[in-house]
Amino acid sequence: MSPAAPIEPKKKKNILPKASSSGDLSTERGDLENFRRFSDLRGVRWRIDLGILPSSSSTIDEFRRVTANCRRSYAALRRRLLISPPVSRDERNLRDLVMDNPLSLNPDSMWGQFFHKAELERMVDQDLSRLYPEHSSYFQAPERQGVLRRILLLWCIRHPNYGYRQGMHELLAPLLYVLQADLERLSEVRKLYRDYFTDNFDGLSFNVTDLSYSSDFENGEDARKDVVKVHNLNDLDPKTQTIISFSDAYGAEGELGIVLSEKFMEHDAYSMFDALMSGDDGAVAMASFYSHPPSPENGLPPVIEASSALYHLLSTVDLSLYSHLVELGVEPQYFALRWLRVLFGREFVLEDLLVIWDEIFALDNSKLNGGSKQEPEVTFRVLNSVRGAFISALAVSMILYLRSSLLATENATSCLQRLLNFPEDVNLGNLIKKAKSLMNLAIDAINSMLEPVFGGGPHGPGKLRGHRHSLSADQTAHVSPRRVVPESYWEEKWRVMNKEEDDRKQIGISKQVQNRIRGWSEKVKMRLSKVTRSSIRKNLVDDLMARSEENEKLVSGNEIETGRSSVASYSSVIGPEPEPEPEPEHEAEPGPGPCPSPSIASAMYRSTEDIFSPLPVSDTPEDLSFKEAKNEDITRKPATDLPDGTSPSGKFQWLWMLAKPGLDGPLDKSEASTSSVIAFNQKNAVPEVVDHNILKNLAQSMLENIEVIESVDNLSKNAMEALNELRKIRIILSEM
Amino acid sequence: MVLVLAIGDLHIPHRAADLPAKFKSMLVPGKIQHIICTGNLCIKEVHDYLKSLCPSLHITRGEYDEDSRYPETKTITIGQFKLGLCHGHQVVPWGDLDSLAMLQRQLDVDILVTGHTHQFKAYKHEAGVVINPGSATGAYSSVTYDVNPSFVLMDIDALRVVVYVYELIDGEVKVDKIDFKKTSTATI
Repeated sequence: MSPAAPIEPKKKKNILPKASSSGDLSTERGDLENFRRFSDLRGVRWRIDLGILPSSSSTIDEFRRVTANCRRSYAALRRRLLISPPVSRDERNLRDLVMDNPLSLNPDSMWGQFFHKAELERMVDQDLSRLYPEHSSYFQAPERQGVLRRILLLWCIRHPNYGYRQGMHELLAPLLYVLQADLERLSEVRKLYRDYFTDNFDGLSFNVTDLSYSSDFENGEDARKDVVKVHNLNDLDPKTQTIISFSDAYGAEGELGIVLSEKFMEHDAYSMFDALMSGDDGAVAMASFYSHPPSPENGLPPVIEASSALYHLLSTVDLSLYSHLVELGVEPQYFALRWLRVLFGREFVLEDLLVIWDEIFALDNSKLNGGSKQEPEVTFRVLNSVRGAFISALAVSMILYLRSSLLATENATSCLQRLLNFPEDVNLGNLIKKAKSLMNLAIDAINSMLEPVFGGGPHGPGKLRGHRHSLSADQTAHVSPRRVVPESYWEEKWRVMNKEEDDRKQIGISKQVQNRIRGWSEKVKMRLSKVTRSSIRKNLVDDLMARSEENEKLVSGNEIETGRSSVASYSSVIGPEPEPEPEPEHEAEPGPGPCPSPSIASAMYRSTEDIFSPLPVSDTPEDLSFKEAKNEDITRKPATDLPDGTSPSGKFQWLWMLAKPGLDGPLDKSEASTSSVIAFNQKNAVPEVVDHNILKNLAQSMLENIEVIESVDNLSKNAMEALNELRKIRIILSEM
Repeated sequence: MVLVLAIGDLHIPHRAADLPAKFKSMLVPGKIQHIICTGNLCIKEVHDYLKSLCPSLHITRGEYDEDSRYPETKTITIGQFKLGLCHGHQVVPWGDLDSLAMLQRQLDVDILVTGHTHQFKAYKHEAGVVINPGSATGAYSSVTYDVNPSFVLMDIDALRVVVYVYELIDGEVKVDKIDFKKTSTATI
């Protein structure tokens, strides 16, 4: 309920428990230095987190001094920059008039600056008039608007390379709000403990113990009664003590040092805003999200970079959703721009937002160094800190929250609608918890990024990047960083996601899933018992040719594969033969369902000694009973085979072909899955097992086969596309 | 901080084709709040152009103006100042200060802006200020020999007006500035 009075103390109290509980979570991280002192005074807490105030273990005096300094600098800034040209014109008789006349086209002239400022002010006013209409009683008050306007103008003048962008006012508004909330708290404490505020000189303020002052005993009694009013500050609990000492006008730095001060709210808000925007020398600087020029590392504007970091994390966590979104053409920056620029300010109501910002600010913002990577440049630098990781993890958990509805839609517009109108009744605690759990992943993802192989848009390089990344990561370090996530995590994830899926999809699809799982196990087995390399290659080539799906899914599939099945069991299975193993990914039809890769992956996890990459399964509506049977007999395979040519995905076909070594590959143009391609890649992606020589040989053979195919006449269009993909894969291979 | 442009005697298309390019580049919309024009534009196109610079346009009739609906004189109040506008061919002798002062007293204004002589002038006397913005195009005049294109921009700020004079001399824009202050009760 929007507050009628500016802020209700009760509301703060409701927030308080959450704040302190989340505060507990942070203390659990065992950092004594950072314990959540002042967790009930958001303004102070945030100032500490943003780096304006010294760390929590400093004394009150230090707080006051730092506060006073910040305020002084702001006052000087204001005096300097907010004067209008005519006033200052008195001294400049000798100034070059040609430059400094009102019509001068020179932007450096005083008049030029004046007009520029007038323009900024116009834009700021436009935005401010629409700020937080639901709390308009607070934000639309003219004094408040004046404060906001001045702060924004000063910041923009100070940072001319950013200018004023829409959204900055939304970052500033909650900062002002929490400062005001602190003041409210102060006033309520004041009311409760009026007697402790010891700056009333009118009343008796010191103990009159000498009864000889008053000759009259009764008078003495009265005097003593009056005297009782003086209390010792230490009688109160520490929190109230700090509040009172923060408002003391006679401490260090006098009035300028009152930490909770109404008079200097503007100054404090400016410092907070500045720290937030500049990131305080950390990695996440909000201002970078507003800048347009591309960052020097990879030629993308930082906000695009961050959005693709988001998508990258999403692909690690939930490949099916990610591929679904990619398929629909939903670029991350369509919604991530707003999320990031306003730090989720438009997605949540103000009270919830304060909780979220509590969490975000509590995390450290210093730059993380890439773990074992030698390359100094780290992509996704813009989110390269614990705080940044949390931001991306939170964004991903928000996307996951909407997973079911996103997967259900079939066009980009409704997806975006869903994403941009985040539901109001969301359980914040869950969201934050999920984000925290994803945070480790996010940090790993950020740490392990290398320079992109190919330049270009966010998707291509992102995926390829991740692909190569995961490859090299796993090759150089046998322990994949993603192992940090315990297996039970994936189990749980799978269960949750599967539940959602089941609720929304028909049984058939889940049957399909299970079919696939079963099919895969069989196929893997089959493959194991198999045949010569050449036949594999031949078949591989067939499938590659025939399938015309995107390359990206392959790569992302790889990523997920390496991520999830980095456990060593690959070596046992794959061992000597570099078999292409088909990828969990896709379905041939875009229609019915998300790729059940997570489910497959987790199913895989269930039998860890048997980690075969899940094979793509065709959609035969067959019995699910083989779900667990990973080690089934090959003979089972024919029974489950699809009738030729009718299998929608054709993956079965391919596998079937594998089972029959004698098949003549190349000319069979049935729609095998790109799975083979994926499988091929997958195979290469397999960590400890990869043998470079074998890869090279494979690449060679691929090339030979490509040539063979090329010689075939009347190739269909699909085949051509598949061929191109093949070539690309070969290039990747050869580079490894 | 009100910027008022005083301009006139363009004589387009009869005696000049257009404003000088350098003037044109300086005159952009959005900066100026009022335009007062002494007259002799002469055609509607010039009127439209001035209107595009600023919607608040005040013109008086010059003897060659094709639009006969412009008034002979006009008074405008901007801030604390009263401005009077007249083309000046009505005041004989042309450009004579005393006669112009008579007109100023007649109109009861602080600042009188007239033209017709195609020569920039700014006089201050005890009754007020008389400003002649000259000819913006440098059009030929039978009264003056060397005509330089010029116009005037006034910055009116409470009780103070700063007059910027822009002249095109030898192809370069020269700017000059004159300060006038008004005491609160008396005129300048």
